[in-house]
Amino acid sequence: MINQTNQKEPNIQEIADLLTDIAAELMTSGAHTMRIIQNISRMAATFGYFIELSVFQQSIMMTITNKEDQLNRLTLIKKTKPLLLNFTIVSDLSSLSWDTFDKNLTFEEIINRFHDIVVQKRMSRWLVLLLVSCANASFCALFKGDIYGVGLVFLATLAGFFTRQEMIKKHINHLIVFSTSAFVASLLAGLGYVFHWGITPEIALASSVLFLIPGVPLINSILDIIEGHVLTGIARLVNASSLIVCIALGLFVSMLILGLEKL
Amino acid sequence: MINTEMIHLILIDGSLAAIAAIGFAVISNPSRKAIAVSALLAAIGHGLRFALIHYAMLDISMATFVAASCIGLLSILFARIIHCPAEVFSFPSLLPMIPGLFAYRTILGLIKFMRTADVIKSQGFMLDFVHNGLTTLFILFALVVGVSLPVLFFPKTSFSVTRKY
Repeated sequence: MINQTNQKEPNIQEIADLLTDIAAELMTSGAHTMRIIQNISRMAATFGYFIELSVFQQSIMMTITNKEDQLNRLTLIKKTKPLLLNFTIVSDLSSLSWDTFDKNLTFEEIINRFHDIVVQKRMSRWLVLLLVSCANASFCALFKGDIYGVGLVFLATLAGFFTRQEMIKKHINHLIVFSTSAFVASLLAGLGYVFHWGITPEIALASSVLFLIPGVPLINSILDIIEGHVLTGIARLVNASSLIVCIALGLFVSMLILGLEKL
Repeated sequence: MINTEMIHLILIDGSLAAIAAIGFAVISNPSRKAIAVSALLAAIGHGLRFALIHYAMLDISMATFVAASCIGLLSILFARIIHCPAEVFSFPSLLPMIPGLFAYRTILGLIKFMRTADVIKSQGFMLDFVHNGLTTLFILFALVVGVSLPVLFFPKTSFSVTRKY
């Protein structure tokens, strides 16, 4: 209590800025709309405010109102960054919102913890590369591909995912990233067809591009739609579908080059 | 009816799904605990779906629905244990069941349909397109509705798992 009286009370602008930053970070990290609204309302309630929040694909719109003085209110629009999934951030920010509510953290403490959460290092990219390749290879095995197919898919994914990592680092348009990675992966996997390795080359070809399927955005979109955030859900669905079309495009180009378009 | 061969097949299916879940989980960078749980849940869910399709003669979208609701229930339980939002590990454990192969065949059917002048053949391709497209859509809905049923039933529990008091 002594702490709080020494601290100067944060004003509405500072709170609104922090809350929109957190909401935008949650959106970028791949939380669904309901969770964003729950977390932000909970934090606002701690400071004695209530909020109305609209979440869109590109921006977040928030009106924050003081509970005691309804005329003291502010509306903000914040642009969100492109999607970069990070569930550690979603989980930690969710914890932070409960801690704010339960422990009455001061404004300074919240800002410090928020910055600590955002700058956390991601898992090493080489480990991710290896694990994704194993995952896609076991995917091929799940679809009853033979051992040649599994090996081929492992190599194809290694090359395809590496391409994706490099292109994302150079900030190339993500639609182009997806078609190029799909092209590289399926070109390698298609060699099984050309040289007749194994008995199930078509399964290897089909599952070589599956690591690119945007699973989490697809699930988020359907979840948003059934929870009533239809517009956001449809926006996410359209985004995910355009990525799938890009994957198919890359696949189709490599099939044309290898002369497999008669399949 | 239950024999060793069947258990063997289900175990193989489950462990392959676990490897796949780990790989697809790390793309979204969850904590290590969450990765372990999602591997376990994926093994249970995918194994259950395999068993339902092959031994209970359920169609794929119905079996997916049952498996997904099983994952949803278990994920709420684990969420309470490790204090982490349920979707952080329930989403990656659904990823091995995402109908990627059906989605691929849908687009392929469409491309073939566009490139064919032969009417009889193109009817077959259109049939492929509609069949695979519908299967993709139904599996997706089954996955998400199944996994979020527990969230819709126990909303308080599922949004307060990261609360530590």
